Amino acid sequence: MNNIIVLPLIIPIFTAVILVFLRNYIVVQRMITITTMIAVSIISFFLLELVQREGIIKLDFSGWKPPFGILFVADTFSVLMVLTSSIVTVFCLLYAFSTIGERHENMFIYSFVLLLVGGVNGSFLTGDIFNLFVCFEVMLMASYVLVALGGEKVQLRESLKYVLINVIGSSIFLIALAYLYSTVKTLNMAHIAERVAEAGQDPMLTTVALVLFIVFSLKAGLVLFFWLPGSYVVPPTAVQALFAALLTKVGVYALIRTFTLMFPHQPEVTHTIIGIFAGATIILGCMGALASRNVLTIAAYNIVIAVGFILIGLAVGTESAIAGSVYYLIHDMVAKALLFLLVGMMVYLTGEKLIDHMSGLIRNYPLFGWIYFLTMLALVGIPPLSGFVGKVLIGKGSIEAGSYVLLFLGFASSLVVLFSLLKIFLSSFFGETIITNEDKKPLPIASMASFIALALCMIAIGLGAEQLLVYVQDATNILVNPSIYIDAILSES
Amino acid sequence: MTVDVAIILTPFIFAALTPVLYRFISKKYIGWLVLSVSFILFLFLTTYIPRISDGEVVAFTHEWIPSLGIHFTTYLDGLSLIFSLLITGVGSLVILYSIFYLSRSEQLYHFYCYLLLFMGAMLGVVLSDNLMVLYGFWELTSVSSFLLIAYWHHRKASRAGARKSMIITVAGGISMLAGFLMLYEMSKTLSIREIIGNVEAIQEHALFVPALVLILLGAFTKSAQFPFYIWLPDAMEAPTPVSAYLHSATMVKAGIYLVARLTPVFGGEALWFWLVTGVGLFTLFWGSFNAVKQVDLKALLAFSTVSQLGLIMSLLGMGSVAVYLGNSSETIIYTQAAFAAIFHLINHSTFKGALFMMVGIIDHELGTRDIRRLGGLMSFMPLTFTIALIGSFSMAGLPPFNGFLSKEMFFAATLHIQELNIFSLDSIGFLIPIVAWIASVFTFVYCLIIVGKTFFGKVQLHLLAKHPHEAPIGMLISPYTLIVFVVGIFFFPNLLGHYILRPAMASIYPTFPTTQELTPHIHAWHGIFSPELWMTIFVIVVGILLYRLLKRWKPIYRALPQNLSLNSLFNNGISFSESFSNRVTGRYMTGNLTDYFVYIFLAFLMIVGGYFLQTDIFSWSPVDRESLEVFEIILVLIMIASSVGILFAKSRITTVFLSSVLGYSVAFFFIVFRAPDLALTQLVVESVSTVLYLICFRHLPEIRKEIQPKWIKMRNIFISLAVGATVTLVGFAALNYEKFITISYFFNDSYELAGGKNIVNTILGDFRAFDTMLEVVVLFIAGLGVYTLIKLKAKGGGTNEN
Repeated sequence: MNNIIVLPLIIPIFTAVILVFLRNYIVVQRMITITTMIAVSIISFFLLELVQREGIIKLDFSGWKPPFGILFVADTFSVLMVLTSSIVTVFCLLYAFSTIGERHENMFIYSFVLLLVGGVNGSFLTGDIFNLFVCFEVMLMASYVLVALGGEKVQLRESLKYVLINVIGSSIFLIALAYLYSTVKTLNMAHIAERVAEAGQDPMLTTVALVLFIVFSLKAGLVLFFWLPGSYVVPPTAVQALFAALLTKVGVYALIRTFTLMFPHQPEVTHTIIGIFAGATIILGCMGALASRNVLTIAAYNIVIAVGFILIGLAVGTESAIAGSVYYLIHDMVAKALLFLLVGMMVYLTGEKLIDHMSGLIRNYPLFGWIYFLTMLALVGIPPLSGFVGKVLIGKGSIEAGSYVLLFLGFASSLVVLFSLLKIFLSSFFGETIITNEDKKPLPIASMASFIALALCMIAIGLGAEQLLVYVQDATNILVNPSIYIDAILSES
Repeated sequence: MTVDVAIILTPFIFAALTPVLYRFISKKYIGWLVLSVSFILFLFLTTYIPRISDGEVVAFTHEWIPSLGIHFTTYLDGLSLIFSLLITGVGSLVILYSIFYLSRSEQLYHFYCYLLLFMGAMLGVVLSDNLMVLYGFWELTSVSSFLLIAYWHHRKASRAGARKSMIITVAGGISMLAGFLMLYEMSKTLSIREIIGNVEAIQEHALFVPALVLILLGAFTKSAQFPFYIWLPDAMEAPTPVSAYLHSATMVKAGIYLVARLTPVFGGEALWFWLVTGVGLFTLFWGSFNAVKQVDLKALLAFSTVSQLGLIMSLLGMGSVAVYLGNSSETIIYTQAAFAAIFHLINHSTFKGALFMMVGIIDHELGTRDIRRLGGLMSFMPLTFTIALIGSFSMAGLPPFNGFLSKEMFFAATLHIQELNIFSLDSIGFLIPIVAWIASVFTFVYCLIIVGKTFFGKVQLHLLAKHPHEAPIGMLISPYTLIVFVVGIFFFPNLLGHYILRPAMASIYPTFPTTQELTPHIHAWHGIFSPELWMTIFVIVVGILLYRLLKRWKPIYRALPQNLSLNSLFNNGISFSESFSNRVTGRYMTGNLTDYFVYIFLAFLMIVGGYFLQTDIFSWSPVDRESLEVFEIILVLIMIASSVGILFAKSRITTVFLSSVLGYSVAFFFIVFRAPDLALTQLVVESVSTVLYLICFRHLPEIRKEIQPKWIKMRNIFISLAVGATVTLVGFAALNYEKFITISYFFNDSYELAGGKNIVNTILGDFRAFDTMLEVVVLFIAGLGVYTLIKLKAKGGGTNEN
């Protein structure tokens, strides 16, 4: 039964390999890809229910008991992430089918997407920190190719930067692992957690934690986000949306795991630094969003703002704040994917990227325009849409902990989010129509379907908060009581 | 699901239906359909009047997010009933008016959809007991107001006005949300009734005052108080029915509602008193003062709305002292301020609604609202003139109109309040009636302007787009209905007082036992010696004088420099923040890879290095010289030499050569440490990559010498050395960390466990085979990626694929 845990990683990777042999059968490729992702979503949902029923479950590869072998761990938090990312991928694929073009489809793009998803899911599920590094590599390698795929000059330039920066990141990760192994002398995350707690997280261990912090900050775009606006805007829209929804979130996930499970014992150092970084990220992200008039860049800076906002929850660290982070993470994966698909569609329809060159789109594409409006409201956190509950929980947590500066920054950032997205809405969707009905490009039906589906997800995450909160609170419970996780992994060995 | 929930939901359901229904219904009827929805709701709400006036409250809870205490609780008491009646009543009249006002060529279903959305949201605000749900509806009113202001979104001014209102009101809403969360933290409940129920528990809390200020920010932005009022004049870009409905009668009163609703919570606090009263009074003055200089009738009405909202706000502030003083026969008199507030709120909705509709008629029939072009319309539009006359005089506080009654009560309240000796009222309290009186003079002046400049004087036909004529009957029904109330309330004020105002007083002063005492008998005549009467008389005298001399003193408006006005501050603030952000972002987002590396390493240095330095964990245990072999020293020296050499290499070939030296030395290290298979792997990798580099580099140009300022070079050298030092020192410290035994002892038995004698092999192939498998996947991706990159070159020119 436990073998099911590995499926979200294995199925996409195997399918990706199979697709390589079906290069010229594009329709078959599409069918297989989307079926795979739907299957993974269903499996993840099943896994979520299983974890609810039976508590944390694990899979020791080759039967080597922890802490000696590698293992995958399914707790509510990780499975929630896997489920959300799989669902979002389904809709991004749906969008890709109608827009991405045969040139890319011929070039194994679906294989790369599946490999990316495999790496992402692996990163969520693994319980071994070296394996996390390896899963990161799978994910990053796939993302390198996806950024560069298409071979346009700007893509190559940005992908080179992206690759080099991430190589540096990986090197620091390796260094961190070396430090980690030479101090706690183990790689199993639960075992690390146990040993760190035993040693009382002395300054040496905190130093190691801080090296890990730098690594994951680079992945999450926490302060070290400068690579993001450039490289996220060059690949095809569907890929952008996937990146926006998944990649930084893996970094955020790793940060939350690291500082709730493994290194939670010196919050006056680590969590203060996280708080400062989160605040700085919000400020810089807001400035970037204010400065830009390019729809893609505005959307990219909105990712940065959200990363800062989610990590307020981690920095504050109370139970409701962490629950808020988890909730907001789920919301943000859905809403950011939708936002990127929408602005990508604007670029596709008009051939323009600057908001000043677009106008009156809502007359041509009313439903499209209103879904953008709805997404904007959700990202601002207006109830009953998806952003609200997470925002309230993070706000509540900040008040409980007395972190008023972070509360102010977080709430004020909603206003900048509103301002930047409203800028797009007012100048590109409202205003005089400049596209005549004859010149109007049709909006592909499959894309529209993915917009509607993601918008419905957003509404469901908001209205169905009570149902979702059951899972979120369970995930939070494990995050704030790491002993549950540690016992589940190590008790039998 | 009970009926009260249905009251909120019905408008939403129809708002959702309108975009669907309009395909089936002729444009002629869509307005009537919406009207019937609103009117039925109004009628339905009136049936609650007897029950509510008997002191009953109707509450219903539908659980939404019980684990966070967020319930969908409707709560209908006196205060919410007044607002609900206004929302549906004025709403019905406005819809009726709009049927004739809006051209059939407009996208009417959008208009009615937004309007219903607003109506539902507004009902939600006044009927919700749960703070979070209230907040949700509150933001929804901002959103629907945005959509209605931007209804003619092809006009630039509409978009700008919509943006301004959205930004300001949502900002207030967010601050209010923070305040609500603080209330939640203090009281552990989100229900307003429960919070009121144990106010004592939270008043001493440190968060009490911050929560108060944050919530007031929300109320002030929504109710257009100084200095946030600037969105309201710009909101006049909306179609006039919208201005009449949202921006005078209902939405802008949401802030007033909130202040009234929370008076039992915050009323005892001096800060609350001074903020609400002070800001209200100043807004009253500032709005009326600025209204006088307006030339656009609608802008004039907007400023007058700002001013009147300030009046109501200040009355609520004055009423809040009664909460501080507690219940006794002497304090009852201070509750009359709150009574006057609600009374004036109703009166204001009647006369201001009528006035907006009057301006709409003029705009509609003449094509302009500019008072410089208008004049002498009395003979052309006698019916419209009557509306203007009655509406303005009521606003100016003249009998026999309802405004007179509430204005007199306002004066009385200002006179009472200055006699108190709490909250330092004894020192500056005397200013309150003075400011109130001055503001009333300006109010009187602009009321005269509305009537005088529009309907008296000479008609200037050549300036008008259309020939003046009376409005169609359909547009007159609604304002006349309101006018009937304006006059009717003057003659029968106590009917309103008894059935409508009294229960509302019970909501504002729940701790005061009987509401009978809280409800004064409203008189029009307080005797010849009553000071409020003389205040009114002097207002009239001075007002007429000022109106006559308008030209003489109008230049004072130019005294305030234009670029210091709040509007330009707002606009400059936005453009400054945009350009400042642009500068800052441009400064660090250089697109230069070296800079980006510098950021990463600086972060590493500051966080890791900084922390490492200030803790005292560095330890260093020199290896004893015996165990050190000669090869090892030689290898280390070679490695140091080659890596330093790379930095100074002038050609690519040298670089490749030196880095392969480095790689091979590592391989030798593996041999020295008895790991022959690792050494082999390293040798293979090193050889292959060196050959590959050599092949590729032949095709590349020579390295260009980078020309950089000296300080950048020094900076980079410093950062590299510091990072290297940090990594090394932390590494030494980590090596000496001896608290745990390693898990690798387990692998010593590899032969027993996995059947392999070589521990490295067993780890790669068995213990951690999963990692190895994924590394193979990484290689697979890399190979496939290189293949696609070579094959898929961008087509020349613009590609259209997304």
